Amino acid sequence: MKHWLRHQKHALTTALRRLLSQPVVTLLTALAMGVAISLPSALYLMLGNLNRLAGDLPAQPEISLFLAADVTPVQKSLIAARLKQADIAQARHIPKEQALTALSASQDLADITAGLTENPLPDAWVVRPQASTPEALTHLASELGKLPGVAETQLDSQWIERLQAALAIGRTGVWLLGGLLAIALMAISSNAIRARVLTRRDEIHVSHLIGATDRYIRRPFMYLGALQGLLGGLAAGVVLALAGGMLHAPVAHLSSLYGASFQLLPPAGTEIAIVLAITTLTGWLGAWVAATRTLHQTSAPR
Amino acid sequence: MISFNQVTKRYPGGHEALSSINLVIEKGELVFLTGHSGAGKSTLLKLIAAIERPTSGVVSVNGQNISRLSQRAVPYLRRNIGLVFQDHKLLFDRTVIENVVLPLDIAGFDRREALKRARAVIDKVGLLNREKSNPVSLSGGEQQRLCIARALVSRPALLLADEPTGNLDAGYAADIMAMFRDFHQVGTTLVIATHDDRAISALGGRTLHLDHGKITEGAA
Repeated sequence: MKHWLRHQKHALTTALRRLLSQPVVTLLTALAMGVAISLPSALYLMLGNLNRLAGDLPAQPEISLFLAADVTPVQKSLIAARLKQADIAQARHIPKEQALTALSASQDLADITAGLTENPLPDAWVVRPQASTPEALTHLASELGKLPGVAETQLDSQWIERLQAALAIGRTGVWLLGGLLAIALMAISSNAIRARVLTRRDEIHVSHLIGATDRYIRRPFMYLGALQGLLGGLAAGVVLALAGGMLHAPVAHLSSLYGASFQLLPPAGTEIAIVLAITTLTGWLGAWVAATRTLHQTSAPR
Repeated sequence: MISFNQVTKRYPGGHEALSSINLVIEKGELVFLTGHSGAGKSTLLKLIAAIERPTSGVVSVNGQNISRLSQRAVPYLRRNIGLVFQDHKLLFDRTVIENVVLPLDIAGFDRREALKRARAVIDKVGLLNREKSNPVSLSGGEQQRLCIARALVSRPALLLADEPTGNLDAGYAADIMAMFRDFHQVGTTLVIATHDDRAISALGGRTLHLDHGKITEGAA
């Protein structure tokens, strides 16, 4: 046990020394790994943020009713009565004056609205039906659209459903891309370690001659791979942080245009830890493959 | 300690380096291997250290049959054998003392204990004032002494030396041989392959002469 710990410590310090002895190589490898791993991570973060955005929106389908400009008070009250029936869960009336005030208050459209001589917006109802199947919704929407005084109906659920479906594809894509890039990561690590093993051929040869086991020789390289992977993960973090910083202002601008205050959410601590663990593990595995293979080649029994 | 029984070593390509060798080396013996180059001296040493495996016959070291030794057991065998090479095989990316400490690191020694032992051995070969130097800065004779220090630091019972004075001038060679005599006197078994007749006559001991893969004189 004591021997084992001593060997681990020795291997770790050796690995650190070797990493620092070739800082440029170390940095470039870490960067390659970082860029590779930042792609699925960025996609994952983007999906998380989009999902949150979709979650803020009403998950239940809504039907918007826009009334005709020449709607009579009688028609209005008939519509209001229809919307109190049992197949309607909730109905909210938005008079056109309120819509105009909201528009001029919440967006940079005050100049435009101030220039208007009359209110171009229609009265509207936002209706949440009891039913949620697409057929029932379409049926209800067309029925409401035929009421006298209703100019147009709009079923609002569709784009949310489509967004959810797109997000589901995106999530599958993250796993796919993540899996592929994990393999790429192993290949990068394996190559980097292989190069380092080959430059230490003499040392490996001498160590074999004076009684080193394969495990002893392999161990520093595996630590090297793990450290390299960890650095790669950290590089990915830096790449993502930079990207996040650059996206911050445009996202804030876009969300202000929609009258919302939406901010990009950074990854959670556990998510960062998981990514670092994965890169460290793949680095270690890649190193194991490279070191074992190269050792067999350099010390093949003659 | 070492015995060869009908040992033949044929290299790929058909060259037969050793043919049906029989020999026994007792514990504590000092044995010189002589013969022109290509006679099989190096091959014989390599068979003892399990660097090569015999094509046929049985090599046994310390009662272990080298031919049947598993690849995993080889490192542990080598830890009991000190190897001195003609080309030294030093590592030039580390200091003198780090070169000597290497076998102890491999064996899992405590670092402080290892450094203490290494320093003692370096002192014995007369390089104590160079312990922090890079081996590149050492002369040929000093490099050979460093190689010997590395071979001895784990206190092996058996020391194998392949042309240890091959590249050295007479003064250095005599130094090295005197060192070997000291180790012989404290009970180490030594097998030395050499051309150096003066060294052999100075040290005495048994001489095995190899000619075209056969022992022609001095066989036990």
